[in-house]
Amino acid sequence: MKKNYTLKRQTDYWLGEFTVMASPCQILLDNLDEALADSLTAIAYAEAKRIELKFSRFRDDNIIARLNSTDNETIALDDETTRLINLADLCFQLSDGLFDISSGVLGKLWHFKQQIQLPSDTDIKALLPNIGWQKANWNKPLLRLPKGMQIDLGGIGKEYAVDKVAQLLEQQIQLQQTKSAFLVNFGGDIYANKLRSNGHSWQVAIEDTQQLGESKLMVSLTQGGLASSGDSQRFIDVDGQRYSHILNPKTGYPIAGGPAQVTVYAQNCMQAGMLATIALLQGEFAEDFLRAQDCRYWLSD
Amino acid sequence: MQLSLKTKSKIKSKSKTFANISMTLAAATCALAAPATAQPSESDSWDVDLGLLIYAESDDQVQAYEGALSITKQIDDESSINVKGIIDVLTGASPNGAVAQNRAQTFTRPSGNGSYTTAAGDTPLDDTFRDTRVALSTQYQHQLSRLWLYSGGAYLSKEYDYLALSINSALARDFNNRNTTASAGFAFAYDTIEPEGGIPNPGVSVDAADNRLTDSDTKQTLDLLFGLTQVINRQTLMQLNYSLSDISGYQTDPFKILSVVDSNGWANDYVYENRPDQRTKQSLFWRTKYNLQPSGQVLDVSYRYFWDDWGITSHTIDSKWRVQLANQHFIEPHLRYYSQQAADFYRVYLDENQPIPEFMTADYRLGELHTYTIGLKYGFPIAGNEFSVRLEYYLTQVTGDDSLAKGAGMAGVDLYPDKSAIMLQSFYRF
Repeated sequence: MKKNYTLKRQTDYWLGEFTVMASPCQILLDNLDEALADSLTAIAYAEAKRIELKFSRFRDDNIIARLNSTDNETIALDDETTRLINLADLCFQLSDGLFDISSGVLGKLWHFKQQIQLPSDTDIKALLPNIGWQKANWNKPLLRLPKGMQIDLGGIGKEYAVDKVAQLLEQQIQLQQTKSAFLVNFGGDIYANKLRSNGHSWQVAIEDTQQLGESKLMVSLTQGGLASSGDSQRFIDVDGQRYSHILNPKTGYPIAGGPAQVTVYAQNCMQAGMLATIALLQGEFAEDFLRAQDCRYWLSD
Repeated sequence: MQLSLKTKSKIKSKSKTFANISMTLAAATCALAAPATAQPSESDSWDVDLGLLIYAESDDQVQAYEGALSITKQIDDESSINVKGIIDVLTGASPNGAVAQNRAQTFTRPSGNGSYTTAAGDTPLDDTFRDTRVALSTQYQHQLSRLWLYSGGAYLSKEYDYLALSINSALARDFNNRNTTASAGFAFAYDTIEPEGGIPNPGVSVDAADNRLTDSDTKQTLDLLFGLTQVINRQTLMQLNYSLSDISGYQTDPFKILSVVDSNGWANDYVYENRPDQRTKQSLFWRTKYNLQPSGQVLDVSYRYFWDDWGITSHTIDSKWRVQLANQHFIEPHLRYYSQQAADFYRVYLDENQPIPEFMTADYRLGELHTYTIGLKYGFPIAGNEFSVRLEYYLTQVTGDDSLAKGAGMAGVDLYPDKSAIMLQSFYRF
């Protein structure tokens, strides 16, 4: 049977690769034998795929599909979904309503694929009644979404998968009584567990969105999470104003004036990802927000 | 540190103030999947620490050699036990408390058997300082619930003329998403001293025929400790401790004496020292650990203020800076400053024309002093385990009223000689 991942020997580490959540995913494993590197990559793939299947909004057989098709019906969530919805709820509160998992429907109007004109204001206004997490009834583990509301955990899922895979790898490595360093990279959302055995940090390239493929900035990562938010490929220029793909759930319009991309270093990947996303939602005040967070960050315009 | 990939094309006129939400996010995300803290139980793991120490004071004073072995066993997810054994060998000489004189002095040994002579101008040192100490201790930790941690232990140490026994117990609780830990603990110690020759009669001449009281004496210590540890942010940890210690019983050093000096500065007699039977010590301790990420440097700074009802107050400032080098090597420079005010009953000597006070000591350790420590620790892995060596230099400057060196007997002598010491320590953990 064909494997869903590949494993390559690099100069001084193993590189496991697969595609999950429409992103290129990499597992870098330091100082291990091939058999263990292969089994760890398999575990990482299985866990990432499990999370994708469970939380993807493009499927009709998971908890997200079930929630999104309800008509004001209360659904009891399992532990894992409860924890993710709780985090989303916390981010909604901490961001003053800007981080909103119910804002995904706006993507129907703002797809940014060769889009040259703004969607009509009438269409946008028509969607707004279905958006607004404060309208959901969240009494964990019970969730009731109002009719028409659709939630999307895409803003959390990839970072969650990185941390969850890292947790599993850490456990496996400890069971093997080894102390290997590893790095998990799911499309730019990253977690590294420790200093490499050669005493060096992992060198992570942050891609400059203006010149795709050309890495502008190298970051040394020893331990912790690194995540980026923003994407300069997806924007529209209307009357000289650039509209990013980051949408304000309150107005239905993109947030203008902010940086094209924010990268944050934090304890874990989820924390980094939430900080980067909430920063981008602040538009021109993104850097003011980041300065208050006492974290390392990088911006690109 | 921030870095902008491109400088802003327009200057922003407005700015906005934001709350720090990263701690809340850290707590919430760690609860979801915590790779950094994921530590499944390793039930059969033993942690063994081996330590060796060599300590040498200048001028052939005290030398100490110590070997320590510590074994920690994780019993299950909730509890662990540590057993530690130490053997010390001490040799050399230490100041007996008498002042230097412009003539040779002869002292009876503390045991009462034999004598030793100190040359003119030299600080009298008791050369019978020689002992071997064996100490055993055990400490047990148990996570009572998600937030409560209990720890308890016992300690025993024995040397030729001294037996120390103690027990301790502490409880700690986490608050505030585990960003705050509060702890309270106590320790009780019972010490017995049985000096060779017996307990001397304080204030009585060392040459008197009947200057011994009993064979042995005891001392009881009750310590209370209250602590607070706070995570300030991702890099910073702060710790605040208060401790109260109540000691009752025999606290005099039976080997220390004082010179009784006449108006010409000549010591014609020596008497045994005496310290109060009661002492209450208190201290406040503040410590901050700052962890520079991602380079892994750690700055550890602490300050202690100490005071007791003997009139001693002291300040300690301690700082360590750990710098991670390549290949898991590290260096850690260490600087420490300690300053102490003398006890109320500290006398460099007694005056023949004055009545002998109830309490008196000439032990420089209860006098006014300043200690400077400079050290460097270097660590690297051996067979995947951490090995480190530490070299430290101590300088103790004893200070006091120099005009007390008077008369033909003491003119020009150093009443407050400095002391220095070198310590070499190595650790191996496997």
